[in-house]
Amino acid sequence: MALLEVEDVVAGYGAGPDILTGLSVTIEEGTSYCIVGPNGAGKSTLLRAIAGFLKPRAGEVRLDGVLMNGSRPDQMLAAGICFVPQDASLFPMMTVRENLAMGGYLVNDRALLRQRMDMVYETFPILAERRGQNAGTLSGGEQQMVTLGRALMIEPRVVMIDEPSLGLAPMIADQIFEKIRGFGALGITVVLVEQNAVKGLENVDWGIVLDLGSKDFEGPADGILADPRIRELYLGKTMSKGMT
Amino acid sequence: MAHWLQILVLGLLLGGVYAMMASGLTLLFGVMRVVNLAHAAFILIASYMTYALFEGLTLDPMISLFVTMPLMFGLGVGLYLLLFPRLEESPRYVEMTVLLTFGLALIVEGLLTFTFTGTFRSVRPEYASTSIMIGDLFVPTSQLYASLISFALLILLWVFLRFTKTGTAIRATMQNRAAAQIVGVNVRRISALSFGLGMSLAGAAGSLLSFMFPFFPARHWQWIALLLALIVLGGMGSIKGAVIGALLLAVASAFVTDLVGPTWSPITFYLTLFLILMVRPQGLFGAKVRL
Ligand SMILES: Nc1ncnc2c1ncn2[C@@H]1O[C@H](COP(=O)(O)OP(=O)(O)O)[C@@H](O)[C@H]1O
Ligand SMILES: [Mg+2]
Repeated sequence: MALLEVEDVVAGYGAGPDILTGLSVTIEEGTSYCIVGPNGAGKSTLLRAIAGFLKPRAGEVRLDGVLMNGSRPDQMLAAGICFVPQDASLFPMMTVRENLAMGGYLVNDRALLRQRMDMVYETFPILAERRGQNAGTLSGGEQQMVTLGRALMIEPRVVMIDEPSLGLAPMIADQIFEKIRGFGALGITVVLVEQNAVKGLENVDWGIVLDLGSKDFEGPADGILADPRIRELYLGKTMSKGMT
Repeated sequence: MAHWLQILVLGLLLGGVYAMMASGLTLLFGVMRVVNLAHAAFILIASYMTYALFEGLTLDPMISLFVTMPLMFGLGVGLYLLLFPRLEESPRYVEMTVLLTFGLALIVEGLLTFTFTGTFRSVRPEYASTSIMIGDLFVPTSQLYASLISFALLILLWVFLRFTKTGTAIRATMQNRAAAQIVGVNVRRISALSFGLGMSLAGAAGSLLSFMFPFFPARHWQWIALLLALIVLGGMGSIKGAVIGALLLAVASAFVTDLVGPTWSPITFYLTLFLILMVRPQGLFGAKVRL
């Protein structure tokens, strides 16, 4: 059975139009995914619908075959689905250490949390240096590292990361992608969303192309990158937008 | 010299009570982005409860805190659950909450007038008319007690917010509601709790004010104007700011009263507010607020 199944999901905001128009994706444990597609395709909306921030109007979100529609974000997180949204969403007036500690909010075992925090500092040495500093004073790349480190504090089964490279210099972005690849080794299934389709696909196993709220195409990431026809067809518009 | 010290102490004592009133209001704003225009009306509810308990059972107003605080906490949680979950989805959330809390203030005022009439009331325990001398300093007993209790409650609030897990979740929600949800905070539960906490501070304030100043049902407009000035000065949503702002303005207005007379005292509030906001539009400790 697939770890996470999204089936014919319809979702939108408030009384507005459907943004996702019957979207289905399947996430298997241990495979990493990148969702690509033009700006406004509904990539972030899909992640929000899965994470419990947006209630699907129709369709099903299943985790291990169990229907999760209508669960609150904290319930989804407790079930193992961790969401790292697009804007580095930190607690600006708390220190790096306190931000990481908040990542373990749902975990009550203090010894375990200490152990995980040490692991986060090992993964992101710069955060160890900055541990006493308020998160609001960090650079964009460092803030992104805090949100990733914070996700590690709960050791989720799936981490969904929305545009981690947004606004970062290419070199810093590469560092972030390298860390994200490391999540797989920890047994965490990665679902990435990227504007920069090539960069995103280079770092995962499987690519999913969204457009206008539904799935256009999916396949192995290296296949998508290698096939000029598919690149032309599905990534042309994405890549050109990604460049600007 | 002793004279100035005297004024300073009186200002600080009054400021302590203001600080507690304002911290409840700013806490609520910080967590829920609601400017509760009914905060002072709720304070008055507690004043009238204290009045009834004193007249009926001769219960000391300071003891009635143990009644008003939990009752107001319950009222806060109840009101939140009844009124807010529906509004939270609305794209016009801010406008709606302004109207809602304004309406609540009017309703409370009406109910109080209906029950207690519009005449002035005051609670007069023995210490309401005594004073003590500390060295050369003259200190009205009522103000001393009210201020000590206020500071004690503020310290409790600080300890709660700083050192408990739930308190940390409240601070996290104040700093970034979305991020709090991301890490698994049930922000609805936190909002209900904060509404209760803010209201229980209003309850305490009502009990304390009942023996410091005479009150009548429409008195809350005056108080809410003052409280809004305090939390804007401190920076909306900053408890530290509300406390420092309250102490600052209370001392300033005590000095103005002394120098040019009591008629000028209210003006000091708004003039100081105006001047500080010219320099720091976000208030003393305010982050740039995202509504
Ligand atoms: N909070 C919101 N309220 C209303 N509409 C929104 C909101 N967020 C996104 N949208 C709309 O949903 C559509 C898809 O947005 P989004 O999922 O953010 O796209 P992507 O992440 O693929 O760029 C866009 O048309 C956008 O305007
Ligand atoms: Mg997006």
